[in-house]
Amino acid sequence: MILSLAQWAQSTAFFTALRSSWYVYPVVLSLHLVGIAIFGGMVLVTNMRLMGLALRHRSISDLIDQLRVPKRFGLVLIATCGVLLLGAKAEEYYYNAFFRLKLLLFGLIFVHGWIFRGSVYYSASELDHASPRIPGRAKLAASLSILLWVGVACAGRGIGYIDPPLDKIHARKVAGPRAAKLASVKSPRIRKGSGL
Amino acid sequence: MLLLAENPLNESPLTFPVLECIHIIGFAFSVGTIALVDLRLLGVTMLRQTAAELLRDTRLWTLGGIVTMILSGLMLFSSDPDMYYRNASFVFKMICLALAIVFNYTIHRSVASTKGPSMKGKVVACLSLALWGSVVFGGIFIAFVNQEF
Repeated sequence: MILSLAQWAQSTAFFTALRSSWYVYPVVLSLHLVGIAIFGGMVLVTNMRLMGLALRHRSISDLIDQLRVPKRFGLVLIATCGVLLLGAKAEEYYYNAFFRLKLLLFGLIFVHGWIFRGSVYYSASELDHASPRIPGRAKLAASLSILLWVGVACAGRGIGYIDPPLDKIHARKVAGPRAAKLASVKSPRIRKGSGL
Repeated sequence: MLLLAENPLNESPLTFPVLECIHIIGFAFSVGTIALVDLRLLGVTMLRQTAAELLRDTRLWTLGGIVTMILSGLMLFSSDPDMYYRNASFVFKMICLALAIVFNYTIHRSVASTKGPSMKGKVVACLSLALWGSVVFGGIFIAFVNQEF
């Protein structure tokens, strides 16, 4: 079901055009990375303040409350670009282990938010009162958040390094496992990603 | 003789992607903290602080990020210097990077340190964001351009 949805999505005129143009795809990818640079930076700064590592002259609420809205805008930009990148190569992504890892990490981030939302991220003024001591739960939330988001970035970079052998997969689907072996057109499993 | 030596970084297929991840984290720190000052100069966020305060707060993290991204960048470059040297997008990226760093530590720093909002601050913030954005675009396009220099 998900697979046929992926195949349908990438075969639409919109995503076919996105994939075929030599510059649209890298432009979307660049915007994705610019978003990561700016708003990933905000996530890092907020969490490092919660861990007591950075911006110690500013109160916790100054950072958390003031950056909440810009971080949401950033997430929308990054996610929009991400969905465009995904749609253009949906079938490949379906088989891509790093993409699956990335989805798993998103799931964990959702759980993380659900757990720490009330006690940390929406209780910034309470955390200010405890200052300069920072409660353990805030430090735990911050370090887990950094770990999860860094994991997302690394898994995202990993996606470009796996090339699922679609020709073999297709051959097996159409004519069974023997045909898949015969269709051993050279498809390298690992390719060099973008040069950055 | 040095040219004949094999780069030890090319021995494992994992080195390049791991360095890329470090590179990304490095520029999230540097560009992220610079953008924070820029967004303050533009009056978008962090209005309870002045740009000068934010600049002081983030200075070390910015520097740490720049050092991380340059060191990892140099190692990435060393994996295939010939290719990068001839790549038009890489050359564009290096020009933008040099301009961005010089701009950041001269005009950007002095304008962000002066008190009060100003038109000048907004222009400088836009220029800073545009320069760092161009560096990212230049980096991504390295893998997509074929024209050789």
